[in-house]
Amino acid sequence: MKKLVLNCLFSITLMLGLSFSAYAGDGITDKEIHIGSWGPQTGPAAPWGTISRGSDAYFKMINKKGGINGRQIVFHHFDDGYNPARTKAGVKQLQEGETPMFAFVGGVGTSPGLAVVDYLMDAKVPWIGPATASEHWVNPPKKYLFTNYAPYYKEAMVLTKYAVETMKKKRIAVVYQNDDYGKGGLKGVRMQLEKNGMKPVLELPMEVKDTDMKPYIFKLKKADVDAVVLWISVGQAVRTIGTAKAMQLSPQFFGTSTVSDFPLMFKISKGLWKGVITASFNEPPESTSPLMMEYKEAFKQFASKDERWGTFFIAGFMFAEPLVEALKRIPHDELTRERLVLELEGLKNFQGIGAVTSYKKFDVKDPRSRQGTNAVYLTECLDNGANKKLTDWIELD
Amino acid sequence: MTDFLLVLASGITAGSSYALMGLAMVIIYKTSGVVNFAQGEMGLISAYITFMMLDYYGFGYLATFFWAFVFALFLGALMEFAILRRAKDPSVLGLMIITIGLEMILLGLVSWKFGADPKDMPFPISPFESIELVENIYISVLEVLTIGVATAVMLILFLFFRFSKLGVAMKAVQQNPMAAKLMGISTNRVLMITWSISSFVGALAALLIAPANMGPFMMWDPLLKGFAAAVMGGMTSLGGAVVGAYIVGIIENFFGTFISIEFKSVVAFSIIVIMLCVKPSGLFGRHYVKKV
Repeated sequence: MKKLVLNCLFSITLMLGLSFSAYAGDGITDKEIHIGSWGPQTGPAAPWGTISRGSDAYFKMINKKGGINGRQIVFHHFDDGYNPARTKAGVKQLQEGETPMFAFVGGVGTSPGLAVVDYLMDAKVPWIGPATASEHWVNPPKKYLFTNYAPYYKEAMVLTKYAVETMKKKRIAVVYQNDDYGKGGLKGVRMQLEKNGMKPVLELPMEVKDTDMKPYIFKLKKADVDAVVLWISVGQAVRTIGTAKAMQLSPQFFGTSTVSDFPLMFKISKGLWKGVITASFNEPPESTSPLMMEYKEAFKQFASKDERWGTFFIAGFMFAEPLVEALKRIPHDELTRERLVLELEGLKNFQGIGAVTSYKKFDVKDPRSRQGTNAVYLTECLDNGANKKLTDWIELD
Repeated sequence: MTDFLLVLASGITAGSSYALMGLAMVIIYKTSGVVNFAQGEMGLISAYITFMMLDYYGFGYLATFFWAFVFALFLGALMEFAILRRAKDPSVLGLMIITIGLEMILLGLVSWKFGADPKDMPFPISPFESIELVENIYISVLEVLTIGVATAVMLILFLFFRFSKLGVAMKAVQQNPMAAKLMGISTNRVLMITWSISSFVGALAALLIAPANMGPFMMWDPLLKGFAAAVMGGMTSLGGAVVGAYIVGIIENFFGTFISIEFKSVVAFSIIVIMLCVKPSGLFGRHYVKKV
């Protein structure tokens, strides 16, 4: 009898143990890895919401090929409308629901990201590839946060350096969105111009909902600018260039990577985007590299029929690439969040469709331990939104 | 002097689209006392119907604009007949909340059907081509058209409310619906026509805004500025809404150009606050006193 009781106790303990190892409450089971994300599918920032749909297609492609080390990826992404309150509510709902997320990937927008970064870091949930180039992610670096998008100020520095040193522009102005995103661009323009012994001739903050661009163009015209760096939204960038044309102002315009979707920009600006130079953080949609061809096939198979093969859809793949690479390196039975962090730290010179990415062992004093790359390249919009690569990948100190 | 004239011209052109939205809001307020917050999205959906006919189906401009305006008239009538008229024991506040709900529904419909990407609205006039008014003062051709349309709409509406039987009936319905009913005016029909006209004017505004900036949220700013203009003008005065719109546009441009571009966007709303504190009836508004 005693033996029977002991056997029963042993069996129960074994069953409980097995069930805990199959589902330890950290977003993995024997057959699944749960990954979360957010992005605006509605609201003024919705054009960037295509990023999470790109990640969705990427994970479906991986699942179709058999998943990663015996597990399928279950991707949970929700529409936050670029509203930080909704981002926080959505992330908490995912994390505190029946199946918490093993990790988060992508996630559009600095303000939405800022709303959840502390929550995720406190819960020790890895967040890989934020789809926003804020400095907050790595300043100071956070153990569970890995980014592969060069900060905005670095982009702005590269653009400004090109304007001054290659195009010999002398009177450079910056029009920036009056928030963290825009101020990142402003900082980079200032830093690079200072290196060149110059200053911006004009710094114009723009509110997100402003639609009347004439006062801006008036000021730019009065300042006799020969180059303008735009760090504003898609619609505002088009209106600024259109109003400049109507008011007979034609400087060289430069733009952030967020306005680098040339086919879209060319179309909605009725061709005025031609000649604009922007930074870019991944291979262009026209690229025929083997990896891009593979992704294009995934787009054909898994994207909805209304989806467009554009820069931001592709970015959905790029932001998730380091996560997938690290997961592939972890044997089935050894997958934990801590192990994921370890494998990410081991990524050196990883090449996906973005810049070469490397991380290091966590060092709170070294942003580069979590900032996988600082590189961008410059590209110019040609007729019909075609793209001319002006530089190779550039990384400035 | 050139700077002054240039900024003045910019203010007037900005004010024209606000004026159309302000007029559309005033028309409904004049007859029903309701501030229609769905006004922008009613125009938005008409603009997207126009876009669909031109871009997807390749209709000509004339046929498209004709059917878009017919749609706008029908949409306004439908809103009043199918939704607002069905409200049980409606208070003005309740009706305004309904318009906010309608605004969200229409916006959701547009986002669902057409997606969130900005669109390139085909239009016979380029929004970025300009003419030189006087030396170094340029104004886009589309803005000239907008000023012309706003002025014409204001005049037509003024004459309509002043001299037509229907216009007078509309005013009567606003001042005293019961007395109007007793005088043989079909208040329901009058309200339905009012919503149709307002929807038509809103569609005009949206069609003139869309060529430069088409997306699901393109009407937010014009609606808010149009509302500010209508409040400034007095909410019941058509002329007041137009004057208010031009004042808002001009102040915004002068403020943004010569004082602070950072706070340019809040000027319109500061005007609302100041006006409501100092002269709640607006510059040209008249408030009828009801005996109880």
